[in-house]
Amino acid sequence: MLKNKTKKWLKAFFIGAFILIGTAGYSQQKTIKGSVISSSDGIGVPGVNVVEKGTTNGTTTDFDGNYTISAANNATLVFSSIGFITQEQSVSGKSTLKVTLVEDVSALDEIVVVGYGSQKKSDITGSVSSVSSKDINAFPVLDAEQALQGRAAGVVVQSNNGGEPGAPISVKIRGNTSIGASSGALVVVDGFVGATYPQPADIESIEILKDASATAIYGSRGANGVILITTKKGRAGKTTIELNSSYSSQSTSNQLDLLNAEQFATYQRGINPGYVQGPAETDWQDLIFETGNIANHQLSFSGGTEDINFYVSGNYFDQKGVVVNSGFERFSFLTNVDAQVTDKLKLGFNAFGSRSNKDGVSTQAGSGGRGGGDVISIAYRFAPDLGVLNENGENTFNSVGDDVDNPFAIATERIDETAIDNYRANFYLDYELIENLTFKTTFGFSALNSTRGTFLPSTLRATAGGVGGIAGVANSKTSNILSENYLTYKKEIGKGNLTLLAGYSYQKTKSDFFTAGAQGFISNSVSFYGLAGGSVPLIPTSSLTETEIQSQFGRLNYDYDDKYLITFTARRDGSSNFAKNEKYAFFPSGAIGWKVSNEEFLKDNKTLSNLKFRASYGVTGNQAIQPYQSLASFESLYAVVGDQTVNAIVPNQLSNPDLKWESSFQTNIGLDLGLFDNRVSLTLDYYNIDTKDVILGDTSVPEYVGFLNQTTLKNIGEINNKGFEITLTTKNISTNNFSWTTDFNWSRNRNQVVKLVNGDDIFLDSSPGHFLQDETHILREGQPVGVFYGYDFRGVNQNGTLPSGTAAFTNNLGDEIFSDLDGSGTITGVDREIIGDPNPDWTAGLNNTFRYKDFDLGIFFQGSIGGDILNYTAIELASGGSNATTEVLNAWTPNNTNTNVPSAAVRAKRVTSRFVYDGSFIRLRNLAMGYTLPQNLTENLGLDNIRLSLSGQNLLTITDYPGVDPEVSYQASGNQASNVNQGFDYGNYPNIKSVTFSVNLKF
Amino acid sequence: MKNMKYIVLMTLLSLVGCSTLEEEPIGILSPEGFFKSPQDVQTVINGTYGNMAKEAFWGRKLSLPLMLRSDMASIGDRGTPARRIEHDIFSVTDDNGMITAFWPTSYQIIAGANEAIAGAESLNLTDQAINPIIAQAYFVRAYTYFHLVQLFGDIPYLDAPVTNIAEATLISKTPQSEVYINIISDLEFAKQWLPNTQPTRALPSKATAAAYLASVHLTLADFPKAYTEAKFVIDNEGLFDLDLVEDFQDLFDATKQNSQKESLFSIDFNGFSDGDTGRDYQGALTGIRQNQRTDGRLDIGEGWSVAVPTINVYNAWDGRDYRKRVSLDTIGVFGGVVQPFSFFPTASPLNVASAYIAKYSRFPGTVSLGNARGTETNYAQMRYAEVLLIAAEALNEVTPGSAEANSYVNRVRARARNRAGVLTNFPEDITLGINQTDFRNLVLEERKWELAFEFKRWYDIKRRQLGPEVFGPNGLENQTNFDPSRDYLLPLPFDELLRNPNLLPNNPGY
Repeated sequence: MLKNKTKKWLKAFFIGAFILIGTAGYSQQKTIKGSVISSSDGIGVPGVNVVEKGTTNGTTTDFDGNYTISAANNATLVFSSIGFITQEQSVSGKSTLKVTLVEDVSALDEIVVVGYGSQKKSDITGSVSSVSSKDINAFPVLDAEQALQGRAAGVVVQSNNGGEPGAPISVKIRGNTSIGASSGALVVVDGFVGATYPQPADIESIEILKDASATAIYGSRGANGVILITTKKGRAGKTTIELNSSYSSQSTSNQLDLLNAEQFATYQRGINPGYVQGPAETDWQDLIFETGNIANHQLSFSGGTEDINFYVSGNYFDQKGVVVNSGFERFSFLTNVDAQVTDKLKLGFNAFGSRSNKDGVSTQAGSGGRGGGDVISIAYRFAPDLGVLNENGENTFNSVGDDVDNPFAIATERIDETAIDNYRANFYLDYELIENLTFKTTFGFSALNSTRGTFLPSTLRATAGGVGGIAGVANSKTSNILSENYLTYKKEIGKGNLTLLAGYSYQKTKSDFFTAGAQGFISNSVSFYGLAGGSVPLIPTSSLTETEIQSQFGRLNYDYDDKYLITFTARRDGSSNFAKNEKYAFFPSGAIGWKVSNEEFLKDNKTLSNLKFRASYGVTGNQAIQPYQSLASFESLYAVVGDQTVNAIVPNQLSNPDLKWESSFQTNIGLDLGLFDNRVSLTLDYYNIDTKDVILGDTSVPEYVGFLNQTTLKNIGEINNKGFEITLTTKNISTNNFSWTTDFNWSRNRNQVVKLVNGDDIFLDSSPGHFLQDETHILREGQPVGVFYGYDFRGVNQNGTLPSGTAAFTNNLGDEIFSDLDGSGTITGVDREIIGDPNPDWTAGLNNTFRYKDFDLGIFFQGSIGGDILNYTAIELASGGSNATTEVLNAWTPNNTNTNVPSAAVRAKRVTSRFVYDGSFIRLRNLAMGYTLPQNLTENLGLDNIRLSLSGQNLLTITDYPGVDPEVSYQASGNQASNVNQGFDYGNYPNIKSVTFSVNLKF
Repeated sequence: MKNMKYIVLMTLLSLVGCSTLEEEPIGILSPEGFFKSPQDVQTVINGTYGNMAKEAFWGRKLSLPLMLRSDMASIGDRGTPARRIEHDIFSVTDDNGMITAFWPTSYQIIAGANEAIAGAESLNLTDQAINPIIAQAYFVRAYTYFHLVQLFGDIPYLDAPVTNIAEATLISKTPQSEVYINIISDLEFAKQWLPNTQPTRALPSKATAAAYLASVHLTLADFPKAYTEAKFVIDNEGLFDLDLVEDFQDLFDATKQNSQKESLFSIDFNGFSDGDTGRDYQGALTGIRQNQRTDGRLDIGEGWSVAVPTINVYNAWDGRDYRKRVSLDTIGVFGGVVQPFSFFPTASPLNVASAYIAKYSRFPGTVSLGNARGTETNYAQMRYAEVLLIAAEALNEVTPGSAEANSYVNRVRARARNRAGVLTNFPEDITLGINQTDFRNLVLEERKWELAFEFKRWYDIKRRQLGPEVFGPNGLENQTNFDPSRDYLLPLPFDELLRNPNLLPNNPGY
């Protein structure tokens, strides 16, 4: 059935094609049939121009890459298509001609999406990186942002919680440009500003705008770079059905080497001679980690006629995590429809929706004191000589250190479910008002609603035992309305091309939030849907925020003679978040480009196929301010009078009429170079970003003034990021049967705090609460953001005589000794210094793709070199009140003095250089083998294409880091935390290794 | 023209959104036009009570230093943060983390009181209508400054809401004598306008203001006035609904405090908290590590062994005194076995071999977190027993050897002889014939045991300049670092002096 239908479509298409070509056919003709496939994946390439050389006779390939042409017997056919290297083949009497086109690696004529329009890639004057659909879908990932990792220079992608199913992922471009505001990139999907990422398989392309020339059109939201995502659209021709299915098996990337029950008891007796070994032998890591898996299915339909095209897809993703009882499930759909209503009018509609359910386990606990802690950190610290249940059949809690429930009980009995609904609809009209002048208006709406429910049953005795269980529900709703309207004028003027853009935009975001909870449940079967069953209601909270932005924007592009390029961009943003006196902001940028290779003296150079210089300068902003921060306010407060909760408020802050956005002044100088028909293409970029007016809490107002909010936000700080990026693609071998392509990117960012309030250090604390530390890292002028701050560990007290320049907190043999910076003979707060820098020296990605006939192989390495990690887990495991790593077997004793491991003792959990490690790593991110079934076999099955692949993710990691995994992020969620809390390791959901099998069917 | 309809349609679409960008917050309280009724004034005053019950004030940051600076509590777990240890061993520096936490909170309490007083004035009501409410704010302001002036001496003094930051940044310290004058004046106002009784002891009454006047005058060694104010309270104890609780233990049973008549003003906790607001930590700070508790309460569990009396306290306290049994825990449960305090360090190296403070961990009622954090305990800031002892101490200075002074002490002692319903003969009544000096010392000792661990002892040590004695070799705590020329006052936070150099110099020795 399908085949017949296909043929009908083909027929229609050919008739159309012939009519289009018009007066093609001439005498002495021979009919030649054939197909055109791509060298990278062996799949047919639609829309290839097939022209008989030296004539106007030609055709184009159909949707599957097939063509038929009449040409002279001795003719030469020229096959050309955007994105591929043009190829010539002589007919030489053959009647079938199969052609493999090699991708043009530099893809200079590729059209790329830019803010409010599109441009030929070769005409771009800013710094823009592209990531293709192929790279995004190289292996199955939950979120598209994960797929960006290592793919583009200057882009750093990090999960906020290791391999947790559904963990938020941060994407930063060119470093941290703020302290208190998000440094995350602005995401624009099909023109919708501030959208969420669509499904990886629905993405056609991603453009990453990095410099001010590219991002200034987004004004006060452009400072952190912009990620432009275009989803797939249908094309005229036969309806294509595509099914992608994959299945992955996953395991933890690594585990810690901890003491067993007997070693543990011996170790504890070294601290406390009265310690009695517990009755069991438990490997808690074994208990909480299991084999996880991902099933991912995507079905899409696409097609259309000359006037209307469509793309419809549905996706189902199901992940069982590697920690017991964690998982994530999501359904989603996407529909794109575009219609050419009249010659001049085009309209389109885009709808996206998803429902996801996350089954969470507790990780990254803010404190591990009594009743606190999380599954992961407790699995490391919990006594291995206890079982899950005690002799009374109750869950055990720890026998050393703070009372915490055992990790298996927390993982299996604590309920933490989040359901998220996400919808977006976007509508556009595109109308050609007069020749060269079009008007486009878009109107969109999106909603993101989430409900999170938690329940701690009373069987978790340390956590909720005494209060009869605790349940809570948190609900948040965010909606977004966007209207954008702009005119585009394009005109050829002599040798020059002029494009002008002017527009107006309005966006409103509204978020509300509430929480409720109760404790004291008769039964543990109630959960959070029966809050009324709790005898004691907890304090509910609610909030509402609204933000509006209205903007005017414009852009001028002019190129002269395809050699000299110039771009001016400006946006004027008004934001309700800004204070009364600073409602509007202006963000201009300018850029120039020079295509040197198009100059007469280079035009015919065989080696140099492309050379372009680019330079840009501009200002972009960061909204930085939360709503209502500039207004005077009272704050309500929990207060009790006569055991009853009463209405109570306190003075919170004075008004701040001059608070405004943060501004980034960015210079970018770049070079694009292509050699040997662009088989080698190199892009170099240097940038310097000065971020000024960084919002900091000014603490110069005396505290006796008495406001709750003791700091006044002011535009005081300054941060600098400068860096260098290299992107190199080489087509090492390219023949019909074998090809080898290498993509390499390398980037280095130098980040520095330039100015703080009065030059004073800002001390920060990211340690778990039960560590009782106040200061773990600092912001200091002249230093990178978030350097670690603590004591310099110098070994152990061997014989009571300390080396000069050292001292200790306590003077027992085997105690830790530290650098005594002030020479006082004792260690106090002033003996702390900067002991580590979490910012990497450089990061890189290296991808090699091989193809031999129908087989392909991809090897993708990613690395980050030179960033330090402060390992809180190691601090805890060395503190005496927990299990320990096998390192303590070599602890100092009077008989074992040749060691730097301090004697077994209970010690304060201090930040010292002993726990700062080099977090450099190189990781085999993906290793994938694919096989595309031969065409004849596929056709017999009634299909167009079948591809099978087997891949492995994170199979190999090269690192000296002694913790579980060098990709760490503790306390890194939230605006300020995501900037300043880097390189901390505690309670992370472990990273995962996986093996994936996938099938791709097209028919 | 047929395309006209599209043009019209697009024009309409593009008109969406035209805004002034003014923020109109909902759910956020704006100070402008907030005060509309006396109830709004009460809401702001309630905020000051809420601030007092914060971790950064009575929950821990102020209360713990008061305890540790005395000779009645020292440090158990030596690994506890230095900011706590510094108060115990008198090595406080000007960036001490306890001070930098309770300093701003204290001033937030004061700012709330100032805001309430100013807001009440804007209502233009009669004195009768509004003064009984704002008298609470006057009391709160006096109460808070009384702490600050005792701790720091000369301090920045504000008695109106700050509207001009630049001006407020330049003020100088107010001499403590002047601060005391203002405190007395606020308390006089409170005494004049507060009602005789309140629905709860979490609100100050006329008696509270009078008792605090007595306490302030006693601190200033103005004994006649101290006596007069205390006597005023005692003479009207029926009117003010005051009495001693029969069983001393019940004073520290959080579930029984609400109906008691002994407290004149309590900082009220109810077993719930919003983060560190409304959360106390004394039970956790004074509890025993690894203790499974004699009542087996799992929701409480072990304590943190931070503030622990030295063994001298246990040894010096007469074993026949019921109050010793109520105030100290001498046993714990470990591995299901009841053990004496000599075993505590074996149970956990963070413990010390001494009797532990029991007043806050034995019967804390509902707790919102383990370790006895966020309990139901109401912390009496002024008990009727203290009013009696103030009267006795002051009268002894005015007219030594009076039977009246003896009667006040004996009333306190009589209650202590009630051992949970069983009357014993210790501590026995005092009799006439004690000379003035001995009587003075006797009352101070009586305060030490009666008000043990109730955050009063440090102020007694300071006002009677007992430091060299109680921290000497024969004191309960031998603190060699104690320096009377420095340690009776705390340093103002160094960063506050940077913000306003007019506050310089800091107190002597810092």
